Amino acid sequence: MKHVGRGVPGLPNRQLVSGHGQYVADIALDGMCAMAVLRSPYAHARIVSIDTVRALAEPGVVYVLTGDEIARETHPIPPAADPGFYGGKSLAVRALPADRARYVGEPVAVVVAEDRYTAHRALELVDVVYEELPVVHDAEAALDPASPLVEPTWGDNVMIRKEFTQGDARRALRAAGVRVVSGVVKAQRYVASPIEPRAYAAAWDPYAEQLTVWSSTQNPHPLRVFLAETLGLAETAIRVIQPHVGGGFGEKVPTFPEEVAIAYLARKLGRPIKWIEERTEHFLAGGHAREEVLTFQAAYEPDGRVTALDVRIVADVGVPATFCGWAMSYVTAYCVPAAYKIPDCRVEVFTVVTNKCPWNGYRAFGKEAASFLMDRVMDRVADATGVDRVEVRLRNFIRPEEFPFSQVSGAMLDSGDYPRALRRVRELIGADRFAEEQRDARRQGRHIGLGFGFELTPEGCSLPNSTLLSGYDGATVRVAPDGHVTILTGVTSPGSGNETGIAQIVADELGVGLEHVRVLQGDTDTCPYGLGNYSSRSLMIGGSAAKLAATELREKMLKVAARALEVSPADLDADDGQVFVKGAPTRRIPFRDVASLVYRHAYGPEASDVEPGLESTRYFRIGNVYHRPEVQGRFSAYPTWPSGACAAVVDVDPDTGFVKVLRYAVVHDSGPIVNPVLAHGNLHGGIAQGLGGALYEHIVYDEAAQLRTASFMDYTLPTAVEMPTCVVEMQETASPFTLTGCKGVGESGVTGPLGAVASAVENAFPELKLALMETPLMPNRVWRALREAETART
Amino acid sequence: MKVPVKLTVNKKPHSIEVDTRMILADMLRDVLRLTGTHIGCGTGSCGACTVMLNGETVKSCSILAADVDGQEVTTIEGLSTSAAQLHPVQEAFVKHQGLQCGYCTPGMVLSAVQLLQDNPNPSEEQIRHGIAGNLCRCTGYQFIVESIQAAAQQR
Repeated sequence: MKHVGRGVPGLPNRQLVSGHGQYVADIALDGMCAMAVLRSPYAHARIVSIDTVRALAEPGVVYVLTGDEIARETHPIPPAADPGFYGGKSLAVRALPADRARYVGEPVAVVVAEDRYTAHRALELVDVVYEELPVVHDAEAALDPASPLVEPTWGDNVMIRKEFTQGDARRALRAAGVRVVSGVVKAQRYVASPIEPRAYAAAWDPYAEQLTVWSSTQNPHPLRVFLAETLGLAETAIRVIQPHVGGGFGEKVPTFPEEVAIAYLARKLGRPIKWIEERTEHFLAGGHAREEVLTFQAAYEPDGRVTALDVRIVADVGVPATFCGWAMSYVTAYCVPAAYKIPDCRVEVFTVVTNKCPWNGYRAFGKEAASFLMDRVMDRVADATGVDRVEVRLRNFIRPEEFPFSQVSGAMLDSGDYPRALRRVRELIGADRFAEEQRDARRQGRHIGLGFGFELTPEGCSLPNSTLLSGYDGATVRVAPDGHVTILTGVTSPGSGNETGIAQIVADELGVGLEHVRVLQGDTDTCPYGLGNYSSRSLMIGGSAAKLAATELREKMLKVAARALEVSPADLDADDGQVFVKGAPTRRIPFRDVASLVYRHAYGPEASDVEPGLESTRYFRIGNVYHRPEVQGRFSAYPTWPSGACAAVVDVDPDTGFVKVLRYAVVHDSGPIVNPVLAHGNLHGGIAQGLGGALYEHIVYDEAAQLRTASFMDYTLPTAVEMPTCVVEMQETASPFTLTGCKGVGESGVTGPLGAVASAVENAFPELKLALMETPLMPNRVWRALREAETART
Repeated sequence: MKVPVKLTVNKKPHSIEVDTRMILADMLRDVLRLTGTHIGCGTGSCGACTVMLNGETVKSCSILAADVDGQEVTTIEGLSTSAAQLHPVQEAFVKHQGLQCGYCTPGMVLSAVQLLQDNPNPSEEQIRHGIAGNLCRCTGYQFIVESIQAAAQQR
C-alpha cells in the first residue's frame, strides 16, 4: 500500500491533543533561573547610563546584563541575510546596544532571577537614563534628505535601492496616452503571532564544556552556527534542541538578541535559565512585516492586455537588525509582475529604515504585496476597459506552455497552469449564477460582491552568501535490525506536518508501513546538518533528501533480498513490509528479515558483499537556482513557483462598512500532494492569515513611533466566527526540479485573500467607482471609501 | 506572601502553598507540572490556557491560584484516562486533523468538550461561536470545526 497521496493524520497528533507535547516552556531543570528583558520605552534615544545597583540588591536577583558587557564579551550577531551582499548597507548588531536604543521594545538590559516574578519586578529597579533623539517614523519622510537618520553612519535612511527593468516601461507609458491606469497600493504592518510565543532555555555543563540551548527556533543548525560565532565557541560546544514548536510562520527563523543573551548568561553564571516571551513583547520586538507602499502606472490595450508597468515600492522595514525581514522588500520587487507577462516593465524598490521594530520573516515573505499589486492592476484595467475581471487576467497570464519563464527580475518560473486554475475557481465559487444572487440580495437590501485574486508564492528561497537561506538539505534514514525505520532530518517542523509527509515518502520507498517509521527532527547533536524550516522547503527539499537516502537503502536491501530469493534485484519490489518478486508476490522475504541478514549475517552468503549497516545520509540540492548574477545582477533565488486562484464572496454593510466573508474558494497548484489532509490544513490556515491581513490585522505606530497595538485586543486575529467555510481544491502541475514534483504548500493561501476580498467589496457596489487599494479593509476605511464614491457620483 | 490552597486537580486532591501573585496557569504548570495547559497571551485573549473549573471552562491565566481554594480543576491531562484511550473529542481532533502545532489544542479541546456538554447537536455556526474564545493561528479553524462536528455525531 502506498502512503504518498493519502491524507493520514499527523504523526504527533495523539501526543499534542492530549497535552503531552513538549515545548520549550515545559522544560524544567534543577536550579533553573528565569530571565526577563528590559526594553526601551523610546523609539530613539541615547543610553546615557544604566545603573543596576537597586536591581542587584533585590532578593532573588542573580544578575543584570547590559550592553557594555555584551560589547566586551560577544561578537555581533551574524545577519540571517546580509544586505551588503546585494549592494545595500549593513550594520553590525549585538544582542544589547551599548549606547543607543533605536525602537520601542528594543532590549537594553536583561535580568536573571531565581523566579520569573522576581525577574519581572527587578526590571523596574534597573535605572536607565535616556536622552531622546529625533525619531524617524515614516518611510516616505525618511527619504527626505532633511530627515533625521536611523543610522548616523549611513548618510541616509535607504538600506537598499534596487531596480529591475525589461524593455522601456516609461516610454511605453508615454506612448499609451490615455490608456493608462495608476494607483497607490498600501499594505499594512503585520505581525506573525504564533500562539506559542518565542521561548528559550540554556544550560552550560562545565565538565563536558557544552552549552545546550533549547529554542523555539525553526532552524537549529543555523542557530548553532550563529551562536558559536557570536559567543566565540566551537560549533561542537553547542547543542541546539528544538522541542515542539507552537507555530513559526517565519517569525522564529532568525537569531534573536534574547537567544544570544540567554546562551551567554547560562555559561557565565553556570545556571540553567529560561525565558518565555510575553505576548506584548512579541508585538513590540518579535519582528514585523509587510508595511509597503507600491505606486504603479500600467498601460493597456482596449482588449485588456497590459503592455507596460512601472512600479515604485517604498518599504518601511524598521531598524536594521539581524532578522532577515528586510529581504521581503527585495522579494516583493523580485516577484513583480507575478503571474503576468508584461513586455515593458520597471520595478524600483526603496528599502527604508525607520525607528520601528525590524521586519522579520513572515509567511508569504513579500510575495503577497506583489500579487496584491497585480490583482489591483488587473481590476483597474478591467474597470477601464469594461473587460471582465477574470478575462483580463486570462489575457495577461503567462501561458502553461511558456514555462520555464524568465520574469523581469531574473526569476525563473518553473511550472503552472494559471488559466485552468482561475477558470476552475470561477466555477467553484458559483460565478455564473452570481449576478442573479447579487440581484436577489439587493432586493433584500444586502450588498454582496464577488472578487478574484491570483497568488504566486515562490518557494525554496535560496540566496547567495547565506548560512541560512539555501536550496539544499540533508536526511539520514536508518533501518534497525528489526526492520523499524528512523528518519533524521535537517529540516524541522514548527507544527506544519512535514515530518508526516517525509515519513510517507520514506515508507513508500522502503515498502514498509507508516507505523514502523519514526521521524526525529530538531537536534544538532543527532540530526544531519540542515537549514531547517522556511520558504516551504521542508517537504520539497527535506523530503527529497530523505527520498535519496531511502532509495540508497532500498537498493542495498533489494540486493540482499535478491540473493536470498535467488533472483535479480531488478525483479524485486517492496511493499507492506515484504520484499517480493514482481509478478510472483508469494516469492518473498519480510523486510525485517532482510535487515536481520545485513546485521546478523554480515559474513553470510546474502549480505557479505554489501557494506554492513543500514544507514544512509544524503543531501539534496534543488535545481533552478542561479547564483551567478547575470545582467543587472539578476539571479534566480526561488526554484519552485506554486500558484493559486482565489475567489471570495462578501457581504458589506453600507451603513457601517463592515465586511463579512460569506464564502471563499481556492484552486491551488503546489504540484503533486504528498498528504492532502495536511496540505489542505496548511491552506486553510494560510487563508485565515490572509483574511486577517485583508480585513483585521494592523500594527499601528503613532508619530513618536510608539506602538499602539500591543495586545490581541488591539491586533485582532480572525477567530472561528470570522472565518467562512472555505473550498480548497488542488491542481497538480509537477515541478521538474524536485524528486516528488511537489512545489511547497507552506505559504500557500496567504496572499490571495488580499486581492479577492478587495475585489469583492468593490463588486458589492457596481454602481460606485470604488478602488480599494489599502489593507486592512476595516469598517471605517470601507465606510469612508463608500461615502467618497457616493460624493463623487453626485 | 504565601497562602495555603486546597484543591482537586484531575480528581486528585492537592494541598499546597502558593504565592498570592501566582496565576492558576502557573500553579498548574510550574507547581503541579501539568504542562498541557499552555500560555499564549497571559491576558485572557487567546484561550490556550483554558481549563475547567468546577466543570466550566475558564482561562487559567486570568485567575489567581489562591482563588481556587476548595475548588475542582480539570486540565487536558485529566480529560483522558490513558494514551490509548483518549476522550472522544480528542480522538475526533486526531482523526480529522483538528490541529497543527498543538499549542492552542488543549484549550481548544476543552472548549469543544464544554460546547458539546451544553449543546450536543450544535450547528456549524454554534460551533464557531463556541470556540470563538480560542485563537488558533495554524488551522484556519476549518478542521477544528469538522472535528467537533464529527465528535457530536458520534455521541
